[in-house]
Formats: sequence, structure tokens, C-alpha cells
Amino acid sequence: MNGYGNSVFLRTALGGGGGGLDPDAQAFITAAAITDPTQQAAINTLVVDLKGYSVWTKMEALYPMVGGTASQHKFNLKNPLDTDGAFRMTFHGGVTHSSNGITFATNGYADTKWLPSANSTTSNVSGGAYSRTNLTADYALFGSLNLAFEGLCVFPKIAAGNTFFSANNNLTDGNANFVTDTRGLFHVNRDSLTVTRLFRNGTSIRTATVGSITPPAFAVFLGARNYAGTTQSYFNGNLAFGFLGDTLTLTEAGNFYTAVQAFQTTLSRQV
Amino acid sequence: MKLTQLTTKQRLTYVGLLTELQKDEIVGQLYAPDSYFNPIQDINDNWIISVEEMEQCVNPDYLWVKDLDLIPYEPKPTPPPFE
Repeated sequence: MNGYGNSVFLRTALGGGGGGLDPDAQAFITAAAITDPTQQAAINTLVVDLKGYSVWTKMEALYPMVGGTASQHKFNLKNPLDTDGAFRMTFHGGVTHSSNGITFATNGYADTKWLPSANSTTSNVSGGAYSRTNLTADYALFGSLNLAFEGLCVFPKIAAGNTFFSANNNLTDGNANFVTDTRGLFHVNRDSLTVTRLFRNGTSIRTATVGSITPPAFAVFLGARNYAGTTQSYFNGNLAFGFLGDTLTLTEAGNFYTAVQAFQTTLSRQV
Repeated sequence: MKLTQLTTKQRLTYVGLLTELQKDEIVGQLYAPDSYFNPIQDINDNWIISVEEMEQCVNPDYLWVKDLDLIPYEPKPTPPPFE
């Protein structure tokens, strides 16, 4: 089901929307000290929408990057504790925080502490990031790879024009040029033991038939890739959302984008 | 050139130059809450940090980074996805 009606439906079903915030939204708002009413409402609607779409339980880490500071952007909406075990991010190098999210420069990246080896399986993983930067260059939006270049990663469009992606498989499809704009929500998904899929803005734009591998034991970085413990392929650009979790169906991926885009629109930073 | 002399345009292309000892001192240390220094090497193997790390540093132990000499950033070639 697409559209913004889900949250309206749930609020209506719960009594006209006049009550308090969703408890998970409230926990995040409290932890991240979000005081702006528009930002609070955006977070609440996002949580309610994701629950209505039955996507909430499939997520392990959601990074709304709302509030404008490092101490707010670091929190995982799914588990807003200030611990590595809750996948609270730490920031490294050239990172700037604003109402538009996180801008990476030179040597900047965010460490999610989320290990594919501990939190995903060969046939069940997804991850993504919402980029506000249209940039053709050799950078990763996010990544965790082992020495054999196997893991979870997206290169949206390298200088040669090609796109690489992986979801617990070898980085693949580098010979194809099919991304015309690197802005938006890029989401890589392990459909099955043999199929990996890339979404942009909730629409499937590429599939690859490639076998699964044992998930790597290196934390996923946003704004760069973690190549077996070495940080590489820095992204000089702006991210406004990130997520890690279970495989989504085609319908769930579309609904997930709808919810994320509504969130960005409420915050006036949609692309 | 120093941080205070940077123009807006130059902010995008300059970095702070570290000695090896300075790199060892700050690597893995916080420059601001939740934010860690990440010294890297440029194409000439100089150790550098970003202008953002210099500007945003509020850790009293490392405020000296604000006075680092700035050099034009010449990055190492980015490795292709498979190398």
C-alpha cells in the first residue's frame, strides 16, 4: 500500500490522533533531545508509518539524522541507547551536521557498529542510505566488505559511470550504467540465496544473480566503505537517512520509501 | 596558510598538515563529542586532517590543530571497487 494514509489511518483507529506520541518515537525524541515540534511530528509519523507497513520489525538500525548535531544524529531510532550494542553511530574525520543531515568531506565517515556477521544471514539482509548529492565518482554510500570484496555495499555511480552493489555477495554489476541521478534512497536487498536487488526511491532498478557469502565481520560504515578494517572510498556529500535490517519485499520496499520520503518532505529536505 | 585565512572556496580544497608525532597524538581521539580525528595520508604521504576537524575541535587537549599549516589536498587515487 502506497501513500501517506497509513499514519492517518492508525491515528484515527487509535482515537483521532489526539493522544501522545508513539512510545518508540517518544523514546528517540527523548534520547536525542529533539525539541522542535515539526521534527517531533516527523519522527512520530515515520514510526507510525513503518509500523503500519509492517516494516518496523524488519529494521535493526534506522538513522533519521534529525536535530542538526552529532549528539542527535548518532542515535538509532530502533534502539536509542548511547551504546555500541544499540548501533549508535560514532563520527570520524570531516563530518558536518546540519538540519539537512550529515555532510561528509575529505576523510569523513560514520561507524554504525552493525556487523553483518552478527546481524544478518546469507539470505536475509538489506541496507540503504538517502543521498542529497548528485555525484559521479568512485565513492561508497555505505559499506562493509571482506578482503574478497564480499559484503554489504553500494557504489551509486563510479567515475566510469557504472554502479556496484552487494548484499552479502561479491560486489556486482560493475559493467552496467543505469543510474542517472545519485540522489535519493539507494537500497540494496538480498532477495534470496541467489538474487540481489538494488532499489532507488523504492523502485527496483537492477537485479543480479549471484550467490550468497558468509556475511563479513566488519562494521558497516556510512559515507565510506569498511574494507576489511580499512576505511576507503570516501563520499564527499550529504546523507539524510540510513538503515540496516532484514530483506524487504517489493511492496515493503516501495512503502518504506514512501514513509522515508514523507519524513524528508516534512523536514523540507527531500530530493 | 592558516585556518583563519581560508576563503569559502578554499575550504573545499585545503587540509591541515600533521607531523608523524602529531598524527600519533590525535589518532582515535575525540575532537568534539561523538566525533573522532581520522588522520589520513595524501598522495605525497603527508599526514593530514580535514578543515572540518580543525574548525570543530573543542577538545582542550588538541586545540593546537586549529593552528596547523594548511596545504592543498591532493588525495591518493581512490581504489576501484575491486582493488
